[in-house]
Amino acid sequence: MGEYSGIREWRPYSYHDLGGRSLGLAEGFRKRCLKVSDRSFSQGLQCQQINSMSVLMSMEDSVFVVHSPQGCVGCASFANDMYRVGQAHRGLPVIRNARIIVTNLDEKDIVYGGEKKLREALLLANERYKPKLIFLFASCASGIIGDDIDAVAQSTGAEIEPIVVPIHCEGFKSKVCASGFDAAFISLSKHVLKGAKKPREGDLVNLFAPTSISHKDQVEIERMLTALGLRANYLPFYSSLDKIRRIPAAGGSTAICKVFADEFMKQLERDYGIPFSHTVMPIGVRNTDKWYRGVAALFGKEAEAERIIEAEHRRVLPLIEDIHRRLEGKRVFICGGTGRSFAAAALVDDFGMKLVGLETPTYDEDAQIDIEYLNGIHGDFAVDIANMQPFEQVNLVKKLKLDVFIGVPTWTARLGIPTTHVLDSKRPTMGYDGILYLGNKIADQIENPGFNEKLAAHARLPYKASWYGKDPFKFIKTVETMGAAASAAGAGEAGKCPR
Amino acid sequence: MSAITEAPRGNCALGGANAVLSAIDKVVPIYHAGPGCCMQTTAGEAGQAGGRSPFYVSGVSTPCSNMLEHEVVFGGADRLRETIEGTIEIIEAEAYFVLEGCTSGIIADDVKGIAKEFTDRKLPVYPVECPGFLGESCRGYEIAFKALLDNIVEPAEREADLVNLFGIMPYHDPFWEGNFEEMTRILERLGLRVNTFFTRRQGLADVRGSSAAALNIILSPWLLKDASEQYRKGFGVPSLRWPGVPIGATDTSAFLRAVAKELGLEEKAERLIAAEEDYVYGYLETAIGALTWKRFAVVADSSTAIGVTRFLANDYSFTPIATIVTDPVFRSEDKERITRQLTELEHAKPPAVVFETDGWKIARELESHPEITLLVGSTNDREYAMEKDIQCCVIAYPITDRLVFNRTYAGYRGSLTLVEDLYDNL
Repeated sequence: MGEYSGIREWRPYSYHDLGGRSLGLAEGFRKRCLKVSDRSFSQGLQCQQINSMSVLMSMEDSVFVVHSPQGCVGCASFANDMYRVGQAHRGLPVIRNARIIVTNLDEKDIVYGGEKKLREALLLANERYKPKLIFLFASCASGIIGDDIDAVAQSTGAEIEPIVVPIHCEGFKSKVCASGFDAAFISLSKHVLKGAKKPREGDLVNLFAPTSISHKDQVEIERMLTALGLRANYLPFYSSLDKIRRIPAAGGSTAICKVFADEFMKQLERDYGIPFSHTVMPIGVRNTDKWYRGVAALFGKEAEAERIIEAEHRRVLPLIEDIHRRLEGKRVFICGGTGRSFAAAALVDDFGMKLVGLETPTYDEDAQIDIEYLNGIHGDFAVDIANMQPFEQVNLVKKLKLDVFIGVPTWTARLGIPTTHVLDSKRPTMGYDGILYLGNKIADQIENPGFNEKLAAHARLPYKASWYGKDPFKFIKTVETMGAAASAAGAGEAGKCPR
Repeated sequence: MSAITEAPRGNCALGGANAVLSAIDKVVPIYHAGPGCCMQTTAGEAGQAGGRSPFYVSGVSTPCSNMLEHEVVFGGADRLRETIEGTIEIIEAEAYFVLEGCTSGIIADDVKGIAKEFTDRKLPVYPVECPGFLGESCRGYEIAFKALLDNIVEPAEREADLVNLFGIMPYHDPFWEGNFEEMTRILERLGLRVNTFFTRRQGLADVRGSSAAALNIILSPWLLKDASEQYRKGFGVPSLRWPGVPIGATDTSAFLRAVAKELGLEEKAERLIAAEEDYVYGYLETAIGALTWKRFAVVADSSTAIGVTRFLANDYSFTPIATIVTDPVFRSEDKERITRQLTELEHAKPPAVVFETDGWKIARELESHPEITLLVGSTNDREYAMEKDIQCCVIAYPITDRLVFNRTYAGYRGSLTLVEDLYDNL
């Protein structure tokens, strides 16, 4: 297999525009019958540049140069807010801003090229902050006009002390925002690690965490790892050049989010012989157990893990019983990123809830494992493979008669449905401690839905009444493309594909 | 020419145009742009303006052609047609505006021609040329107004008691709704009806009929120069430019007198001014000495900077030290107008006035004034205040650590809120 391109849609058997029922989709996937589709109408996506930036924005000793017009740092305000809040939670006395410098490409640059401005911005970053790292992000505009960010990074980087890390995160290259994580890791590997081996630190585990992990979650996960006698190299959130350089020394790698650093961990195994565990997101009892066992196995600590899991179950399970009583049988729809949505689906099982619909951005081999597991528990449920697309979500949700929606509540709350979320990057979610917080949150929010009910009477969802009577997936159309998944789709077991 | 900028205090032209159009009831922007532009622009404008989302479509609910490599190479015209068709099928709107992003702008898709295919079918689809690289949010604001004037506003009979209240940018001014509401309240007490386009569920009908106004009141020292020309030439509506949203009794009363003079309402205005000032001082005299003496700096867009500096210096007897204007004012006559407002004070010595957008340079400018004890600015400026251990009051874009609904510092009542927010009991 060649080097991974960093573009998620080119991975084999991966689908991003699908809709249907879980049993049919799982069968179609198993038989390689799923066709590659696309939406002929869609709402805005999250571009990969947003992810590339957010994942690195809390790195210490770094400056972030964005080669774009000014709009492309819009979402950096979210990342910067998380960074500031994260510093507050970590008790830092002076809370600083991420250092973001934008080249501010204008009409003239679009015509004549922006490389000169980019060089100036890199020099400015160095002069102002003397950082150890300068991350340089591409944009749609810089990519289309053909500015050579690698060449500028190399030539200007040779004149200054900081390592300049160019990241190819042009938005138009991928519709899957998680590609942006990969773009960042590919560049870290190429420009910082560069294959240099380190003496092994046997008890060190690379713990890859995206920006959406709260400080409380970090504390909980590190508590669990410490109990196994492991030390975490927490990356790249609140990380530094030194911690990045320690990556090759680790005895194993794992990630908190399932679509985070998964390709990078494969590369670390190839390049440095570091084994990794890629299981689930540690949300809920079952998933936390599974995640924990996966990490422990890397270090031959299975027996210790079982003892700890047993103790944690003794502590937590009795407390969950009450939550289970409050939530049993509630009909739930889950929408979230790839890691979160499947983790949440397993979580609702801890509470005895009934899954009636799932919206998640990607269907691939990993998703198939989760969907088959969920099919076994919940039977046939609705599946929308979409990155948000609220127009499909409200249509589907309205048809499914829910008790609760778990996900970004902006739209379904306005239908008067109780809503809650498992993504709260400022408060607990993960591990054994997180489940109690989550369970109580979900139960409390379902039991007291007054806000949404009253809101619905005044809310302004923009969709025509006729839309709710139509097939939510009517805009998803099969396409002929040359993608890897497309060629695979044709290779389904002949004659066995369901119509 | 756009300069390299650290920690910019604005989004792009697309973001500014979208902020305007998405603030009008039943108006739907359709993006012909890259896959992240909807989120980036909504986060950059509304997201940094007190943390809310526009009520109708915004962020990932905005219809978008999500231009990928295929569209970059082969053009995105068909993709756009499908996107517009789909939008009209499912989303209720009185008008759809097709907004160009950088990608379609660079590859030069014929957005105008495609929009015309729909208008020829009597569907309200209008093109807006606003690729991000054209400039920042303020440029987008101007472009959106031009789009409204070109496509929506129609000739109408003059209505002597109708005024248009402009110059407050939706979302880019985090307090836009509160500011509009307070200024509207005051003008209504003068017996006027007020078009804002954006508040109290006003919509396209109000935009369409704005040509009937007796006067445009532009509450900004520099924005909407072209739009005011277009109103004058096209519809005979004159404009009164007031350099920013007035804060406090002195400036608000002066503003009212200027409006009254234009419309022949002087006597009524004097009675109103007396009553409103009495209201304000009725409160202020109950908290005499509650806030101790401050030497202050303001870091904000020109309108806010003028309002706050003048109120704190003229009405509250604080000491102005430095005022840093952060919006991209580019005409020298506008800079002069702003500087005059900031330096022609009643008793106070004028502050140093600097025009600067770059975050690093702003911090260096503040450092040259070590006597500052109060910093009025944005969330970005908290870091400086923490470092120097001085009081910080966040009332200017970008704001990501406060939630803002209808709070206002404008007019008479807003000035009381500003004093409340400046009180820190430390």
